[in-house]
Amino acid sequence: MKYAPPFHRSNGFWPITIIFVLLLALPFVFTDTYTRHTMILVFIYAILASNWDISLGYGGIVNFAHLGFFAIGLYSYGIASKVLGVDPWLAFMLAPVLSVAFAALLAIPILRLEGIYVILVTIAATQLLLQIVVSQSAFTGGTSGMVLLPRLSIADYRLSSDNRIGYYYLALVLLSVSTVFLYKLERSSLGRAIKAMRDNKYYAMARGTSEGRIRLLTLCASSFFPGLAGGFYGAYLRVASPDVFGLGFLTITLSVLLLGGISTIWGSLIAAFVITILSQILGDYGSWRNIIIAVVIISVVILYPGGLFAAIQEIWGGLNRLKTRIIASYRRMFRAGERRAAMGFADRLMRTRHGEVSVCDTRTGDQALIFIHGNSSCKEVFRHQFSAFSDRFRVVAFDLPGHGVSPNGDPEVHYNVEAYAQIVDDLVAELGLGKPIVFGWSLGGYVALEYAATGGPLAGLAICGTSPIAKYPDDMPRGYVPTPHMELAGKRFHSPHEKYNYATHTIGMKKGLEPLLWQAVWRTDGQAREQVFAKLKTLDWPRQTRMLRSGDIPFAMINGPLDPFINHGYCRQFTYGDIWQGKPQNVGDAGHAPFLEKPEPFNAMLRGFIARIFPEKGQL
Amino acid sequence: MISADTLAFILMSGILLGGLYALMATGLAIVWTTLGVFNFAHGTLLALGAYVAWQVTQSVSGGLGFLLAVIISMGVMFLVGFLLHYVLIKPFERHENVVLLAVITTLAGASIIENTILLSWGPRDRQISPPISGKIEFFGAAFNTYDFVILGISLLALLALAFFLRHTTRGRSMRAAAQNREAAELMGLNVSLLFALTIGLAAATAALAGIFIGSLRFISPAFGADPLMKSLIVVILGGVARFSSPIYAAFIVGIAESFSAYFLGLYWAPAVLFAMMIAVLLIKPEGLFGHRSKTL
Amino acid sequence: MSAPLLQISNLAGGYPPVSVFHGIDFSIGDHESVGFFGPNGHGKSTLLKTIAGLIDPWDGDIVFDGVQLNAKGRMRARTSRNLNYDLFRRRRMVAQTAVRSGLIYVMQGNLLFPEMTVGEVLEIAPVAAAGRQGVGEMREQIDALFPRLRERWTSKIRYLSGGERQMVSIAVGLLALPRLLMLDEPTLGLSPKLRIELSVAIRKIRQTKVPLIIVDQNIEFLTSLVDRLLLFDHGSITREIAADAMPSHDEVMAMMFGEAS
Repeated sequence: MKYAPPFHRSNGFWPITIIFVLLLALPFVFTDTYTRHTMILVFIYAILASNWDISLGYGGIVNFAHLGFFAIGLYSYGIASKVLGVDPWLAFMLAPVLSVAFAALLAIPILRLEGIYVILVTIAATQLLLQIVVSQSAFTGGTSGMVLLPRLSIADYRLSSDNRIGYYYLALVLLSVSTVFLYKLERSSLGRAIKAMRDNKYYAMARGTSEGRIRLLTLCASSFFPGLAGGFYGAYLRVASPDVFGLGFLTITLSVLLLGGISTIWGSLIAAFVITILSQILGDYGSWRNIIIAVVIISVVILYPGGLFAAIQEIWGGLNRLKTRIIASYRRMFRAGERRAAMGFADRLMRTRHGEVSVCDTRTGDQALIFIHGNSSCKEVFRHQFSAFSDRFRVVAFDLPGHGVSPNGDPEVHYNVEAYAQIVDDLVAELGLGKPIVFGWSLGGYVALEYAATGGPLAGLAICGTSPIAKYPDDMPRGYVPTPHMELAGKRFHSPHEKYNYATHTIGMKKGLEPLLWQAVWRTDGQAREQVFAKLKTLDWPRQTRMLRSGDIPFAMINGPLDPFINHGYCRQFTYGDIWQGKPQNVGDAGHAPFLEKPEPFNAMLRGFIARIFPEKGQL
Repeated sequence: MISADTLAFILMSGILLGGLYALMATGLAIVWTTLGVFNFAHGTLLALGAYVAWQVTQSVSGGLGFLLAVIISMGVMFLVGFLLHYVLIKPFERHENVVLLAVITTLAGASIIENTILLSWGPRDRQISPPISGKIEFFGAAFNTYDFVILGISLLALLALAFFLRHTTRGRSMRAAAQNREAAELMGLNVSLLFALTIGLAAATAALAGIFIGSLRFISPAFGADPLMKSLIVVILGGVARFSSPIYAAFIVGIAESFSAYFLGLYWAPAVLFAMMIAVLLIKPEGLFGHRSKTL
Repeated sequence: MSAPLLQISNLAGGYPPVSVFHGIDFSIGDHESVGFFGPNGHGKSTLLKTIAGLIDPWDGDIVFDGVQLNAKGRMRARTSRNLNYDLFRRRRMVAQTAVRSGLIYVMQGNLLFPEMTVGEVLEIAPVAAAGRQGVGEMREQIDALFPRLRERWTSKIRYLSGGERQMVSIAVGLLALPRLLMLDEPTLGLSPKLRIELSVAIRKIRQTKVPLIIVDQNIEFLTSLVDRLLLFDHGSITREIAADAMPSHDEVMAMMFGEAS
């Protein structure tokens, strides 16, 4: 199941609402014709480019006949309203119908073609259209085109009066409807089928998706709004000329799409604005304008293929990293007292081969106990264990890089399970912990398993809320109950709503009851989440399984029976070499974090496991 | 009913046209088979070559001027094509989407060249004066001698190119790089250089074709669009299985064009050609003379 | 003992962002021959392609005959996901330099140049020898090794059988006058008869004292050819076995996968 939040709960909600309101108010601020005309062109380019994205970006069908759809709309409006004398509004409505019909016709030849051949056929089809338009001058006006097309009016009010305010709002309505359509389409089952056909055609076909049907629907879906825009263009400029078939128009529309970024709806909208304004500013320079636009296209494609939208996302990502860094430094400097009060011990920064991490260490006791926290969490979740075990053991917990009060790390190098395990290794060596008992929770469980599998010194291993995986990724859906929150675990940017959801579902508590976790999610570097999950596939899972099955290391699994994530049946059936009490243990009626929710029974259970490792120590 | 003379006339004009098309299309075809990308700047390379030649004939007139113009223009265009590879195609040679990206960058490159021509020579039509005049009587119809010279030179140029590719080490290396890039690298060949050489050669043949067209008709900054579309039709119709397949197709297209221009009118001729091309793509996408694999 | 012919230290690589192998250390001396054995899909071919210069290494050193072939140091991590790094970053290793210094890689299941004839291919092959002496003698040797190629001299490669193609591949490698020849699964997908024929040829090549790196799935074939066997598992060399302790197929399987479960 793919997690897709409703629009009003996503990160994009506020920016888009604000921009929409601004566009609604714009004509009242700028009352001159020129600004409104420019904005109408922006809207038309935005419609053309964002709809082109359905076939070119999402569908992977390199359709160069897209402007043919626009031209069909334009000419069908012109011919219907002027030559045939149909009512302009009716002709306007006819335009998209004919362009969809053309798209369906075009789908037939390209059904079984691939790559370059699709490009060639679509270009040829556009040229064929052009030749027909040029040769049938009785209807189309030939090379000089049609002029003085009828204009649109509501009752007696012409849309062009009052400095074209009517056309402005009509264009805005078209763009809004088109955008809503695209947004819904992308999230519909059809949209997913279109993307699946692009990403892995044969797999999609094997799952029963018909290639021909999807191609047909992709082209038809991408042709409706360009046809409508073509009709609008004819009614607005009152001219239909064969220039719309030319390479110049194609190049500008393509540059809008590329600059915005392929496979994003919003990118095209932003780029339409940038390119149209640029081209209006450079309008007086003629040839230079075309050269500059061509240079922009080449530079974007060569240097930064993601386009503007990717740039915005990177800037957003950078800000997010900056924010989390500031929060971490602030808490490190000014909130040390609070943490000390919670844990009973002060923390300090320690250098490891993967950057600095914040470590809380009780310093006394000969047998060490290391606690490793999970994804988007912090070391303070183990505060009950610090108070319970610090009398007899040396208890150590640390914040993973990008979590808690540890500084952010280099996403490529420091954010993966192997690196986390190496940090544990460094800490053990640096602090002189000898052979500690390692406890890992959730993602920390994998860190603990990896640490043990790579031969780090330890006396015992316990995990919680972690399913051992023998074969990745096949075992992931077996080991875990698929919920939308699994998707959140690897998501880079959380909207406030998602943060709340993630924080509360991780432990099944309300925000007010456990502010710590909420704050930890808020602080966690989004890149850490994303990178760790992306790199799970490169982890040496068989090595972990070999270690577990060898039974060389005392091993315990202590879960909450109400854990919403892990599949308890899977954990029971997994083959272990040696597991304490013969099977995974459950703590009371706890959820994903039993040590935090039900500390008493959990601590008793952990004591039992430790007593089995060191029977000579007797009653602990 | 049409007479045999008319038929012969149409056929002969078709063949003369076909020679030009063969020259234009071969440049497009060798780039496609070698680099696996479609060079949409091919048409503007034709135009630029013609303008360079026109510039030379302005300073040196007569037959010598024409000869000089051909040599200089082909040399200049070879360098332009060579550079084109490093600017437009090499930056993403390892990219999975190289076909689409190359379409986009070569389209943009075409726009740059076309507008550069516009800036340097202005929008006015020009003509390169043909070096040879005179007519030949053929089945009762008069043809320009120059047309036959063009046909002969075009075929000779193609023959020379074919010889270079088949029988010299450099040419064979180019074919090797075209057929299997990785294996060519493992043989120690400088694949980038070979690719650039290929585009350079294609641009030089384009220049020759541009000069011929420019001396038959007028040249204008945008005149490359029509030859580009014609070459496209030829290459698709014939396929690129062998060096010779686009050449055969060029003659078919030339003859088809002159027949449809005669019977259906000038306006309908391109439409017929495009319809032919779509039909071939539907029935035999690899081309009339093609099989699935591409080669040089 | 002098410096080894090929010295690989701490080599890491893959297809960004997926790391395929890491921490590879081994060396090959003059006249030595080494076999790689390991499961499919664990990065053996990627490793050889990296050593041959087709793929950029991420980290580590490839020193061939005292010359560092790759750029020193670690490949810098990308700071922007969308920037086209290929444009700014020079290749860290180029196949041409490796090939011209005599480090020759014969690709797995090489299709070569389907539309060229055997003769044409073998005539341009010595480009890689970069002017070293001995191409003529090598031609005679190849005629003796693979007499069948003379019979198919004017056939296009795409009409050849799999075994004949493999012969052309190896002949192309030999014509580059290799100082170290890397054969990637030379007997993959061949009929038993051809496999024997090819094995005989490879043994003859071995007798000419050309150092070899061979990857193969057939442990008996490997052990009969090599001085050392390296077991390759999950992107790293897990064990090294000397010639006098060559194991049988079952023993190797037990080493790599543990007892049958």
